[in-house]
Amino acid sequence: MRILVIEDETKVGCFIKRALEEESYAVDLCEDGAKGLQMAFATNYDLLIVDLMLPSLPGLDVLKGVRQAKIQTPILILTAQSQVDQRVKGLDAGADDYLTKPFAIDELLARIRALLRRGATEGSGVLQIDDLILNPATREVTRDGQRIDLTSKEYALLEYLMRHTGRVLTRPMISEHVWNQDFDTFTNVIDVYVNYLRNKIDRGRSKKLIHTIRGSGYMLKAD
Amino acid sequence: MPLRVRLTLWYGTALALILIIFSTVLYVITARSLRDAVDQSLEETAAVAVRSLEERGFLPLIDETELMSQFPELARIDKFFQIFSPSGTITIRSPNVKQHEMPLSRQALEVASSGHTLFESAKYPKEPPLRLISVPIIYRGSLLYIVQVGTTMDSVEQTLNRLLLVLLVSMPVALAVSLVGGWFMAGRALRPVDAITLAAQRIAGGDLTQRLTAPASADEIGRLTNTFNDMIDRLETSFRQIRQFSSDASHELRTPLTVMRGETELALRRPRETDDYKIVLESNLEEIDRMTRIVDELLFLSRADMGEVKMEHLPVQLDLLIEDVHRQASLLGQERDIQVVLSATTSAVVLGDELRLRELFLNLLDNAVKYSRPSGTVDIALTIYQGQARVSVTDHGIGIAQEDQPQIFDRFYRTDIARAHTKKGTGLGLAICAWIAESHRGEIEVQSQVGEGSTFIVTLPLASASA
Repeated sequence: MRILVIEDETKVGCFIKRALEEESYAVDLCEDGAKGLQMAFATNYDLLIVDLMLPSLPGLDVLKGVRQAKIQTPILILTAQSQVDQRVKGLDAGADDYLTKPFAIDELLARIRALLRRGATEGSGVLQIDDLILNPATREVTRDGQRIDLTSKEYALLEYLMRHTGRVLTRPMISEHVWNQDFDTFTNVIDVYVNYLRNKIDRGRSKKLIHTIRGSGYMLKAD
Repeated sequence: MPLRVRLTLWYGTALALILIIFSTVLYVITARSLRDAVDQSLEETAAVAVRSLEERGFLPLIDETELMSQFPELARIDKFFQIFSPSGTITIRSPNVKQHEMPLSRQALEVASSGHTLFESAKYPKEPPLRLISVPIIYRGSLLYIVQVGTTMDSVEQTLNRLLLVLLVSMPVALAVSLVGGWFMAGRALRPVDAITLAAQRIAGGDLTQRLTAPASADEIGRLTNTFNDMIDRLETSFRQIRQFSSDASHELRTPLTVMRGETELALRRPRETDDYKIVLESNLEEIDRMTRIVDELLFLSRADMGEVKMEHLPVQLDLLIEDVHRQASLLGQERDIQVVLSATTSAVVLGDELRLRELFLNLLDNAVKYSRPSGTVDIALTIYQGQARVSVTDHGIGIAQEDQPQIFDRFYRTDIARAHTKKGTGLGLAICAWIAESHRGEIEVQSQVGEGSTFIVTLPLASASA
């Protein structure tokens, strides 16, 4: 899951980025409204976090720009203003949720999970395919009841695959959603990580879940 | 009592008084002139009688026929005629007084004896009131006859009664009609006042966007409406400023709180290296400093607004102060390889608070150093211009956009560039500078070109000029 954070207070942006990265999200950080809007156009993010008070282009205009470009990505707004009308304006301009500064990191993470869930499956947010279960809230992965320990990147990759089961996911798609803008797409890192995952999930089991689609990419499916 | 009722009552009372006075005067004047007319007519008739008696050589008249032929005006029914001997006995009288004995009154006899004419009124039962004139005829010093002419006051009395009736009936009617009219007029005149009251109630309820619809006229209500609207305009502006200010203040305070909370929570989510904790604590300390500065400056400004900041009013040798501030700023500049140059100075004394003035110039120099490009220069100059001390601080840094210039002295106003440039700024420094300059009866202004730099100019009245 790749997230764009548009926040002009360097320190705030930094701790949000660190917190999200510890949760295995790929995070891009931008301190300027206009530049942030360009980034949102250029990359297919899974979620945008936008501060309302930004230099060069106010957060509200970033929101409107994104929605005018028919980008349906969930948007969470951050605001230091507790006044209702600011939040109403933000929600009306196309935001899906808001948080008032100062906020608890746990709440930020929970809201991000809720927003990401909204786009995909219904229910409590627990992802399941066959006997493989992934719980985004606890970041617990089990197969056939057995706990599987994953590194942060492996987890991110699996979550992305599980949110798009039955669909072919190309390497550019995977890199765009699992790694951030600093990632060099011309390496075989994706293949390496898919292999790591395979070792942990499919190895020694009769039923393989991760499939290679020759010439295109990968797919997660039950048969 | 409502104003409308009071207005109507005052108006009614005044009108009633005017009507009563007018009616009384009208009645009295009419009565007098009618009576005067009767008296004049009696006097004329009596004069004619006396003249014809004189022509006859004062011979006594024999009978009524002769009398009537002698005085044809006696045929008129409304007058009668009697001639008395000096002793008061009737010698002859006109036929229309036959039915009553009308002896000469005692007073008439006495006045006639002394040779004067007398008017008198008389009243007999079941008869209309009478008006009499008694004229003595004196020949060679002795009283020969007393001629008395009389008439009834019937028509006069009737006219006066009718007048009185008309006045008594018409006065209350007129009063009632004009009271009703006054009531409506007062209501009409007071309707805009009611509108103003309603609007004021809505505004008191917190809706400052309300305005009164201004009447086209420039009368009292029109002026009141305009004054009222002006007042709400100013109220709305200052409310908006206050709201903006508190919203800005809460924003400025929330940001460091967000940083502190976020970084601390993040650090506590899992075990970290000691160095990581150290970084968080150092960062928190920075934020605490920032909040402290904001709170201190806010407190200063609010105390300044309340007029609670004590200001000295002592002579300050401005050139020495500037030199000192320049030395301090040079040290600040060294850190960023920026030269601070004292390009001009002159002896100048101003009245004021040395500490505050030092703060003002240090603040300006600190800003100039902050916004300068590395290894640039900052100029400070003290000159006398148009009888005032003029201190200018010039940097060759990023400059301030034209549209931002009017607002940079506003509290919490920070340009986007300033926000990005100096994360530690509070947005209150220039507001404090402006306050210090103004409380010294001076001025602060800015001249700036984007990309070329800014000049802040402080003008202060000289001590000699103000003393």
